[in-house]
Amino acid sequence: MNLRSETAKGTALSAPATLYVGLLVAAPLIILIAYSLWTQTYVDLDRTPTLANYREALTDPLVRHLMIRSILISAAVTVVTVALAYPIAYFIALKAKKKTLWLLLITIPFWSSYLLRVFAWKLILGFNGVMNSALLALGLIDEPLTFLLYNEFAVVLTLAHAWAPFAILPIFVSIQKIDPSLLEAATDLGSNKLESFLRVTLPLTTQGIIAACLIIFIPTVGDYVTPSLVGGSDGKMIANLIQVQFGAANNWPLGATLSLLAMLSVGFVAIVFVIGASTLGRRIR
Amino acid sequence: MTEKNIIEMTGVQKRFGSFQAVSDLTLSLREGEFFSLLGPSGCGKTTALRMIAGFQEPTEGKVVIDGQDMDGIAANKRPTNMVFQSYAIFPHLDVGDNVAYGLRNRGIARAEINRQVSEALEMVELGGLERRGANELSGGQRQRVALARALVMRPKVLLLDEPLSALDKKLREQMQFEMRHLQQSLGITFVMVTHDQYEAMTMSDRIGVMFEGRLVQVDAPATLYASPSNREVASFIGEMNFMPGAVKEETDTSLTVESPGFGTMTIPRNPNVETPGKSVLLGIRPEQLEIAKEQPPEYDATVEGVVRDVAFYGENVHYHVRVDGVDSRIAISVPNYFHTVDHGPGDKVWLGVQGESVIDLGQQSDKPI
Ligand SMILES: Nc1ncnc2c1ncn2[C@@H]1O[C@H](COP(=O)(O)OP(=O)(O)OP(=O)(O)O)[C@@H](O)[C@H]1O
Ligand SMILES: [Mg+2]
Repeated sequence: MNLRSETAKGTALSAPATLYVGLLVAAPLIILIAYSLWTQTYVDLDRTPTLANYREALTDPLVRHLMIRSILISAAVTVVTVALAYPIAYFIALKAKKKTLWLLLITIPFWSSYLLRVFAWKLILGFNGVMNSALLALGLIDEPLTFLLYNEFAVVLTLAHAWAPFAILPIFVSIQKIDPSLLEAATDLGSNKLESFLRVTLPLTTQGIIAACLIIFIPTVGDYVTPSLVGGSDGKMIANLIQVQFGAANNWPLGATLSLLAMLSVGFVAIVFVIGASTLGRRIR
Repeated sequence: MTEKNIIEMTGVQKRFGSFQAVSDLTLSLREGEFFSLLGPSGCGKTTALRMIAGFQEPTEGKVVIDGQDMDGIAANKRPTNMVFQSYAIFPHLDVGDNVAYGLRNRGIARAEINRQVSEALEMVELGGLERRGANELSGGQRQRVALARALVMRPKVLLLDEPLSALDKKLREQMQFEMRHLQQSLGITFVMVTHDQYEAMTMSDRIGVMFEGRLVQVDAPATLYASPSNREVASFIGEMNFMPGAVKEETDTSLTVESPGFGTMTIPRNPNVETPGKSVLLGIRPEQLEIAKEQPPEYDATVEGVVRDVAFYGENVHYHVRVDGVDSRIAISVPNYFHTVDHGPGDKVWLGVQGESVIDLGQQSDKPI
């Protein structure tokens, strides 16, 4: 096959994806940018371009507060999820006999809807929930614990559970790819199990860890279902504010501005993280 | 080489489930020798090596290294280092960090590590390549890095699992000499696993031949070639023509035998085989046979035959000759002295052999030849 038809074939094969991305990512993004430059005047839109929305968003302490909290909560979710996912992925990749079965089991939470799972956590963590009833029945506490639900903790727990499979899979793949003789070579050269892990397995799985972190961090910053259901007022995140702008407050331009600012912040944090983590991974010798 | 035994394996067995990978391996390796375990694929060579390294526990038996019983001693605590078949170069580290890997486990000062690393790289002729990435190396360079990484640890025993099998022929031959020189100058015991008889013969002080999990013969290469202990060894190492012989007379050092075709001749006894009874298996190496148009006068035994095949190898020429009374064709190898191939298929020729060069392979088994 010559080069031209090879290129043509490539173009043809990627055409559906290009079209899809073009329509569903580029177009909405352009619309979002346009909106952010307009102004809401009660029921009408003033279409003269202005940066007033940005000024308002950047000077509003509530926005800054929610943005920082969202990033911190997502960072916590990412750390917790990846830390819990790593041993699971490690076990499946290196120790488990029936890998396919284990991977299947991991996806089971996906068989029920996201909303349902969030509600399930509400039932577990609530005032009269499973956790409190069990602890009361066991006599470990005298009155129901109130710090379980409607705060950051509940948000982190719920999100970590929901996103765990997304962390396990990329890490599993990266561990699976490691040539077992590398670990034997590490042992042969005097490393114990922990040293081999820290000096060989971990640096060879940094790509998987970075992928897992991004897959979790980026979408969770924008999550609004979980914070609004289990977050209470302490657990509210930036997406809840954005939702309000597009709903009750009916200020789409401000909503669009907040969305774009959230995207930029997330992008910035993500890039800094990737560079930092890769550098760190390369420094391990 | 000293008289001290650096490794002693006694009655070592390895079973995987019901499969016996290594049976009753008893072997002493001398300090400073280059020892090869040679055998066909799947005979248990790698398993034997991995039991020395500590990657596999023997099901039964004892491995002693430098006087210390290795039972319960983990691989990372053993005084051995290994060159892996795939080389196992750490892909995330450059050449220098690969070689330094083991030294860093020992908590040596940085300057000293750097000195030892560059010295080890000099030794394998990779001097100055410290900062070269692991993925920027040729096959031969990877092999040298693996060697340097193991040798920098100054192991009592260096274990090598088919270290040259991934290299092309020219490079392999060059590395055979280099590794042999390195081994001799360092005085470290090398134990190499290989299925390549030429590799084993060119590099080793002694060779252990394994078949189906069993160590069959341990000897110096020349002894192995001249006095194989049975038919399997004889045919695995080099080429061999087999023929039956009837024993006419026997003394402590010689046998007078009659073989179909070649008639009666007196041959030396092989110390490595059982006393023959009435019949004996005879082996003749292809290069020990003379091939000529006329009956060669100066040979103990001669026979007439017809050339069937000729194969030109460059440095020598191989003939296959059919002889009445001998079931299989007889292979003859002749050095290519004058760049001529003297005989063609269908030619009538005479073969000649000296009794001295015929090998006594002991009591003839029932297996058809
Ligand atoms: N971990 C294991 N589990 C089960 N069987 C094994 C295991 N390792 C090796 N074997 C079996 O033991 C036998 C010997 O294996 P080994 O790797 O020692 O052979 P080898 O002589 O090194 O062969 P090759 O020249 O092909 O490398 C083989 O039949 C192999 O299938
Ligand atoms: Mg092997």
